[in-house]
Amino acid sequence: MTAGTTTRGLPIEFRGLSKHFGPVLAVDDLSFSVEPGRVTGFLGPNGSGKTTTLRMLLGLVHPTAGTATIGGRNYWDLENPSSTVGAVLEATSFHPARRARTHLRMAARAGGHDDARADEVLELVGLTGDAKRKVGGFSMGMRQRLELATALIGDPDVLILDEPSNGLDPQGIAWLRDFMRYLAGEGRTVLVSSHLLSEMAQTIDDAVIVSFGQLKAQGTLEQITSNLTGLVMRARTPEADRLCAVLTEAHIAFRRLTHDEVAMDSVTPQQVGPLLASHQIVLHELTQEGADLESVFLSLTAGLGFGDVAAHA
Amino acid sequence: MINAIRAELIKMRSMPGVWVTFGLAFPLTVLVILGVLASAGGFPGHTFYFAQTLRQQRQLLGAGYFGIEVLAPIVGVLCVTSEYRHKTITTTLVLTPVRTRAVAAKVAVTALWSVFIALLTLVAVAAVALPWNAALGGVTSQITDQVGAVVPGLLVSAILLGLFGLGFGTLVKNQVAAILLTIGGTLILESLLVALARAIFQYNLNWLPNAAGAALAGDIARGFGGNGGNGGGGPQGVHLLAWWQGGLVMLLWGLVPLTIGYFTTFRRDVT
Repeated sequence: MTAGTTTRGLPIEFRGLSKHFGPVLAVDDLSFSVEPGRVTGFLGPNGSGKTTTLRMLLGLVHPTAGTATIGGRNYWDLENPSSTVGAVLEATSFHPARRARTHLRMAARAGGHDDARADEVLELVGLTGDAKRKVGGFSMGMRQRLELATALIGDPDVLILDEPSNGLDPQGIAWLRDFMRYLAGEGRTVLVSSHLLSEMAQTIDDAVIVSFGQLKAQGTLEQITSNLTGLVMRARTPEADRLCAVLTEAHIAFRRLTHDEVAMDSVTPQQVGPLLASHQIVLHELTQEGADLESVFLSLTAGLGFGDVAAHA
Repeated sequence: MINAIRAELIKMRSMPGVWVTFGLAFPLTVLVILGVLASAGGFPGHTFYFAQTLRQQRQLLGAGYFGIEVLAPIVGVLCVTSEYRHKTITTTLVLTPVRTRAVAAKVAVTALWSVFIALLTLVAVAAVALPWNAALGGVTSQITDQVGAVVPGLLVSAILLGLFGLGFGTLVKNQVAAILLTIGGTLILESLLVALARAIFQYNLNWLPNAAGAALAGDIARGFGGNGGNGGGGPQGVHLLAWWQGGLVMLLWGLVPLTIGYFTTFRRDVT
């Protein structure tokens, strides 16, 4: 696929967005923007408020405070929502007795589009052969593709994708990556949330990282990763428990990666080396890593939601 | 708005449960026709006899009411509960984000589908009741002359019963529970409450949905359960409201649950 040169996307703006669910603060004064023509990754641990934020953007959840707009307008104020925004939210929201083509015709009619559009998007996502099958018999990957087809029914300027690669096989994920790049290349705005960081690193231009509903970082991938370059140390040791205790005592942030691996943030070899030597901790490996999206993410979110041993060490 | 209605129509068309209600409309109507003609000659006596009195003629023409009072609310229930059962409410509200518009489309389609059911029962009357009545010696024009007295009320009743189901479905979002409660309420609970009210309090409980709907259906109801007789619409033995009172009460039964459901269900966060 080759990208066109047209500029057809719209900016997305979140300003002071907050959401309380009873006593739980799911999204906390979140402000960031998403630019057209770029794939923006919306990253955060489970429960960090990503889905709630996207649902507030689409008017499914009412914000406690703040605004979320597309091209300066609320989603529900758009004249033809499905021609402006396509959203992939959950791959389970289908009537099982409905055929794929029928589902898409329903979506097409809701947006005032021609029925023939259903077949076009089915072809686009590679489901033409399954058009007459009932969705109840679809695999998770096929449902995900159908959800994407639904989002594309109005040929929208903005794509909102919440964990779109869930259930996709490696070929599907690669296809999705190319597809998102293609859409952004056409000038569309693509906002995608995911927890597959290595996959995201190959796909996105910009990243927005949230934790506990708060913005932790926003910028281009290069800007974000350059902030931590050279500051992540990874140690492999048979005495990982003791190492964690030493790091806790020294007030050094760390993450227990495996039973014998620990990652330390914001430290240099000059700081760590003498500390470990003075406690006579046996090391099998001590490496300084160039920061990648995963290490930045884990650093900013303190590994929350990913086996956060550090917090309890 | 038209787009939302067109989308709702295709949704209803692709729901097997809706076709089950269609499939039942005809046989339920034939059952009532059978009952009317079996009792037309009085018991004991003729097995089947043509509709002789005005009341019997209107009963025959409105034989579909029994099916309507059961099936139209189920159509409304299906229209809304399937959204929550299969989580399609997310897609619906993404495609139609103005919620009043989404609800209005459901109201329109439920009304339309309820009218379809009512029309299907009239087809059953035309296909079975009229020829059978004629074969038994009845005069067909005596029955068709009652169209103006029976059919408008039948259609409006169908619409309002459908809306009642829609509102009920927004309050009881569990589809199976909502359908069972609708059927149970129609066939058992209301008749039970009417009988209890009369036996214990000597109270004429005529403002529950089926009695009100039967009143709206006018002269059919007067012949049916309403003020005696047998066959179909309305709980047995209840003295029905006037047709316009029945219409107003039915309107309330349709709108009140829908309004409550709108504020407690449709306006809430979809998480």
